[in-house]
Amino acid sequence: MKNLLLLLIIVSFFGACDVVEEPFTTGDGTPIDTTSPTAFIKKILMEDYSGHTCSNCPNAARELDALINIYGKKIVPITIHVGKTYARPYHISQSPKYQYDFRTETGESWNDFFQITNLGLPKGMINRVGYPSSAHGVEVTNWNTIVQTIIDEEPDFGITISPNINSNAGNIDINIEVLNDIQGDFNLLVCLTEDSVINWQKDVEASPNVDVEFYVHKHILRNSINSPWGESLQTNSLYNEEQEINKTYSINLDNLEQYNIDYSENTVELGNGNAGGWTKENMYIVAFIYDNTTFEIQQVEEVHLITP
Amino acid sequence: MKKIIAILFVLPFFGLAQNSSGEIHGDFNLNLQTYNEDKSIGALAADEVLLNNAYFNLLYTKDRFTVGVRYESYLNALKDFDPRYNGNGIPYRFAQYNNDGLEITAGSFYEQFGSGLILRSYEEKTLGIDNAMDGIRLRYSPISGVYLKTFIGRERNFFEYSNGIVRGVDGEVNINDILKLTTKTKALLGGSVVSRFQNATNPNFNLPENVAAFAGRINVLSGGLNWYSEYAYKINDPIGSLIENNYASGNAITSNLTYSQKGIGVSLELHRVDNMVFRADRAAVGKDLLLNYIPAISKQHAYTLVSLYPYATQPNGEAGFQIDLFYKLGKGNGIGGKYGTKIDVNFSRINALNGGPSYLSDDINHEPMLISLKGEELYYQDFNVEITRKINRKVTIAAVLAKQSYNKDVVQQQTGYGIIESNIAILDLTYKIKKGHAFRVELQELKTEQDDGDWSMGLAEYTISPHWFFTIQDMYNWGNKNVEKQLHYINLTAGFIKGANRFEIGYGKKREGIFCVGGVCKTVPSSNGITLSISSSF
Repeated sequence: MKNLLLLLIIVSFFGACDVVEEPFTTGDGTPIDTTSPTAFIKKILMEDYSGHTCSNCPNAARELDALINIYGKKIVPITIHVGKTYARPYHISQSPKYQYDFRTETGESWNDFFQITNLGLPKGMINRVGYPSSAHGVEVTNWNTIVQTIIDEEPDFGITISPNINSNAGNIDINIEVLNDIQGDFNLLVCLTEDSVINWQKDVEASPNVDVEFYVHKHILRNSINSPWGESLQTNSLYNEEQEINKTYSINLDNLEQYNIDYSENTVELGNGNAGGWTKENMYIVAFIYDNTTFEIQQVEEVHLITP
Repeated sequence: MKKIIAILFVLPFFGLAQNSSGEIHGDFNLNLQTYNEDKSIGALAADEVLLNNAYFNLLYTKDRFTVGVRYESYLNALKDFDPRYNGNGIPYRFAQYNNDGLEITAGSFYEQFGSGLILRSYEEKTLGIDNAMDGIRLRYSPISGVYLKTFIGRERNFFEYSNGIVRGVDGEVNINDILKLTTKTKALLGGSVVSRFQNATNPNFNLPENVAAFAGRINVLSGGLNWYSEYAYKINDPIGSLIENNYASGNAITSNLTYSQKGIGVSLELHRVDNMVFRADRAAVGKDLLLNYIPAISKQHAYTLVSLYPYATQPNGEAGFQIDLFYKLGKGNGIGGKYGTKIDVNFSRINALNGGPSYLSDDINHEPMLISLKGEELYYQDFNVEITRKINRKVTIAAVLAKQSYNKDVVQQQTGYGIIESNIAILDLTYKIKKGHAFRVELQELKTEQDDGDWSMGLAEYTISPHWFFTIQDMYNWGNKNVEKQLHYINLTAGFIKGANRFEIGYGKKREGIFCVGGVCKTVPSSNGITLSISSSF
């Protein structure tokens, strides 16, 4: 009887085996419908922690592109170059390549706090879910799995960003609408990203040379407008449905750009001050609300800095 | 909840220990290190100043019943360990019962099928590896010569467990016992299956949720001859990316033939591995959640400079072989000397598979040639000779000569270094001053034009048996082309051993590099500080 039982176990193991036949891809890559009959949908902040000499990092960028293709506007991306190992610029005596410093005070502050480089690049944070356990630093191949678990969550806040930028300065109005009665300690952070920055990047998939001179860096974090950790949404911890909160920020792009240059030149380890050259036409405003206790993102929104 | 479970495992110790029957054993290990900033070697200070790894094992056995726990403390983990270990806990606890040949284990356990090609759950604390299973395991021997094992569980990942559920079964038959043969030649046959279940929710790719690997093995022993071979096959196991996935199956073969008799030993080993990374989570990377192990096929050196460039097995794809010849020249003749002389000659070579490992997608179908050595990218080559000779009652000498080729780009996954060619010479002299007092000196030299250039190393050790030892060691990178990097790495160590307790304190600088055990490696950052190690067992 025991032998029969063991035979059954063995047979069941042989059955526990899913050989997949071609074609391996499913569907035609049609994006999932992320529109909503209501005014606001809950969006997901995808933070891609990266470095220009991290040759595996472009795989993360490609995965992020694929997520955006599938989930569309539900994904708000930020690429953050961090740390001295993969993100520092080379000294000119070492190489004329990798002279740009993509690092920012905000990105380094987040990395110091969330310890992403200690987990190894590339890693992502998806709505910063999982903190403080190490689960917040997610392997690239798991991004889709995590996104799927939170994609249908309902929002508690709606964010509307209204920029009014003339020349290199202006105001950004943020309107926050509370969608449900909720209690907590929430912060609002507003930052700038820039798309299509052309510069060097190591890419493990590039052939025959991993050093790619005209790599297109997407969603690059440029600077925070209201400090690396933002500001409290309100002093009262009670938020009521239909309540509205308005914030206005005055910005000067030249000053923000110079701040990055100074940070690279004077503060960050092995920086060189080569952190300017912003193109405002390619820039976005990203605003997100996070729980000040769990650090989980509650809502995020993104708009062009200048209406195209 | 986890704490309650751990307490339930621990309680029997106290209840049963009051009954005089049964035995309690255990061991304790503590490693402390301070980290000072040292810009010359790129060493960073630790915010905590002092970091700590500690383990305490407790085992209670009574008749056919055993329970055990291990408490682990990383406050915070040493810098060469993954920070995901940070914290305290009881990640290992089990209860085991043996009845009429059936052994039942509930909780944590380690297991290995064959040589580990499809399953090796083990711990190697020096590497920070502990991939214990948490679940149920049965071992059963229905008749003499037949051994069966099966288990189901999740694999440990620091203080958590894998998403994937792992199931396995292994059977081994001793042909001689079954057929009641009394021949000099003995044969064992074995087979195993390991399967992982993990949900698949990928909108772009059809992913397998149940991924199985199979292995068969044979071991024939006859006199001084021992032949072991194992073949493993893994079905498609894509990592689950949204953009690109490899659906190729994996396979591995390892074969080892040894012959030994008094004073002589010959070993020939070869293996070929293709796409055989097998994990308890399809998307894990690095050393996380590995289920299998590819045995190393190069010599595991003990001396520092000959292991400055250690080889890490490439489970994704490699082919290699190793020949080892051991010979002991007889005593009392001119060549062997009064006490005899041991000679060990070893050669190993490992290279890439033809065109890289197997790859299968909707657009690509690549399968490397079964055997291809000439013209393939070299990963590692090591030719070394070690001679040990006792000159007289007081003096013993060991000498090592080695020539190594090390593909740093592949082994350390970097770019631009290429193959490091090095020649190494080592002299190890032990002088017995008087009873219980010995003085040992090591002189080592590594010559290379590449990477960090030439190194020298000297070590002096004084041992007062059985309690004390004192060591001073200096590694000097005098050949570094960057003059600022021509640094000394000096280390001082003192140790005291009494009974089952061992204390060791040290101070010095460690260079950045990789450290390997059995072909599995970890990166070690440079450091400058004091180390304290205490171990004890009962």
